[in-house]
Amino acid sequence: MSELRRAWLITRKDLRLEFRTGGRLLSMIAFVVLAGFLFAFALDHNLVPGRDVAAALIWLVILFASTAGAGRIFDAEEEEGAFRHLLLTPVSRPAVFLGKTMANLIVIWLVTALTFISLTAFLDVRDQGSLTAHAAVLLPGTIGLAATGTFFGRMSRHSSLGDTLLPVLTFPLLVPVIYLGATSTARVLLERPWTEISGSVRLLWAFAVGSVFIGAALFRHLTDE
Amino acid sequence: MTLVGRGLVCSYGPTRALDGVDIVAGGGEIVAVVGPNGAGKTTLLRALSGERRPDRGDVLLDGSPVSGADPGWRGRVGLVSHRTGLYRKLTVAENLTFFAALHRISDARHAVARSLETVGVATLAKTRVEALSRGQAQRVALARSLLHDPGILFLDEPFTGLDPAAAAALESTLRARRAAGGVIILVTHELRRCLGLADRVVVLQRGHKVYDGETGSADAADLLRFFTATSSDAS
Amino acid sequence: MSTRARIAGLALVTAGVATILVTHWMMAFWVPSEAAQGVVQRIFYVHVPAAWTTFLAVGIVALASAVHLWLEDERADAAAVAAAEGALIFGAIMLITGPLWGRIAWGTYWTWEPRLTLTLLLWFTYLGYFLIRGSVADPRRGKRFAAVVAIVGSLNIPLIHVSVEMFRSLHPGPVVIKPEGPTLHADMLATLLTSLAGFTLLFLGLFTFRYAVERLRRRPLPAAAGEAGEALI
Repeated sequence: MSELRRAWLITRKDLRLEFRTGGRLLSMIAFVVLAGFLFAFALDHNLVPGRDVAAALIWLVILFASTAGAGRIFDAEEEEGAFRHLLLTPVSRPAVFLGKTMANLIVIWLVTALTFISLTAFLDVRDQGSLTAHAAVLLPGTIGLAATGTFFGRMSRHSSLGDTLLPVLTFPLLVPVIYLGATSTARVLLERPWTEISGSVRLLWAFAVGSVFIGAALFRHLTDE
Repeated sequence: MTLVGRGLVCSYGPTRALDGVDIVAGGGEIVAVVGPNGAGKTTLLRALSGERRPDRGDVLLDGSPVSGADPGWRGRVGLVSHRTGLYRKLTVAENLTFFAALHRISDARHAVARSLETVGVATLAKTRVEALSRGQAQRVALARSLLHDPGILFLDEPFTGLDPAAAAALESTLRARRAAGGVIILVTHELRRCLGLADRVVVLQRGHKVYDGETGSADAADLLRFFTATSSDAS
Repeated sequence: MSTRARIAGLALVTAGVATILVTHWMMAFWVPSEAAQGVVQRIFYVHVPAAWTTFLAVGIVALASAVHLWLEDERADAAAVAAAEGALIFGAIMLITGPLWGRIAWGTYWTWEPRLTLTLLLWFTYLGYFLIRGSVADPRRGKRFAAVVAIVGSLNIPLIHVSVEMFRSLHPGPVVIKPEGPTLHADMLATLLTSLAGFTLLFLGLFTFRYAVERLRRRPLPAAAGEAGEALI
């Protein structure tokens, strides 16, 4: 229990830094709004109704924004070498991973909400379906994205290739999340019955839980020398 | 309390940063590790603190092996490096409270206040680290390393960028820790300063220990000459 | 390189290449053409063994990576990297021959056949494996990161498989002619098995060589010390 509390302390510290620095959050927000705007321009609405592609675009924008953000998760930790000192406290590595993932997740939620609003608005999707159902699809999907991003964000910090490496490492893993998430969101938008979606959501939860546990278990291999 | 490094070997790929180094540091003793750039000083410190598991060799505390993977060991170690290791956008108190909580200190507020008092920067508690001068930030970093009252203190080039007042404060803090029986290992390239402060000096060169002796002994002056010669060789 | 490794590697590679040459002779002159697809079906004798070898290699990488993370054994990492190169090369052969065959047999270059999709994703995972390995300043760390990538990639295989199956049921593709249908002509089976043996031997031979070279490369240099170590911190 106390390790969970320490994880939460790391989350709180990260969010505080995030909001005080603002740069990463602001650029992610600008990115998702501009992306929605650009998609609206890129589509010929006479040929392709925005509604048909909204789900796919929502998930891709969230994926790109969270991947871009993942490269910056450890910036504040490295700025003055604080992470070295954090690791030298008795805090366990799973707690560090959970804390950082949770902070990342909260940022991704903000981004997700904005993505949803900006894309449904710019693509003129009027009937959005049940918001609760959307949340039920997006919740496990974003957990998977947050855990994967935090994990490989740490790994890419040590690489001279840096952020360019992140998509190569994460996209192959995230194919199931994007596929299951986008098809489920599409069905929610079309107000199809929940039974058509529940199977995919269960798999999204499997990925979410799996990525958090595997990430927590393997994180020490990324931190300890 | 005695900290012993035995036959430490650390490689970065084909490069041996440490090639079989032995070092002993007793309680109530300041051991200075000096040497030119690239001699393996920082690597030795990381191996001793448990941050980097050596390829070969052991680190022993009172005869039993210790490892960075053990949270109990990490709780007994304090570290000051040449970078402050603080979060710039947090205040001094926020930084220290965060680390105190990770160190499982029950009365964090008290520990933070006492620790800031010790290094003489209590008035800065509510200031953000980004607004501090280099010397102030380094003192806060020292305060952070003392929060959990560690028995073993590692310092990696702590004097870098300090003004004379901050350097004097650091020295007096270290002397106080020594008097309290702590193990202090200090890595520096400033031999003159550590001759005045340390009890023993260990000279590293290209991953090997080339000298190990008391600073008070007669050959300290020779050492100074020797060291000046080797470091000008290296640079 | 030890003499034993050299002899074993040489024997395996020679046997593999010889068997593959025999396979090519069988493919070109001996085996009958498949009735429906004609001569293009013969690429099957390269495609399927390449796929099999790829998955054999992937299995070795996953296993060796787990052992390396667990025991920090250098030999396990050398085995993993040797097999990973095999996975990358044979995977590329599979990914090139698959669409070539598919273009004629199915009328399309790409189809969401689960194994083809999985191989493409695994291929990129292995690309990541080598990129992270080579781009981390501290080799010890690079090896561990690569092992983590291999393990995480392997753990994701079941979910990718399920997703692709679901995806296919949504997008009914062209009628797929099952390559390894139950009514495989005996001569075709013989050719396939010969080719499988050839590819496997060649892979094992290359693996043995690469493993030995990797071990050799890591022999510590005598008393070299230096700046690099400190610079990494």
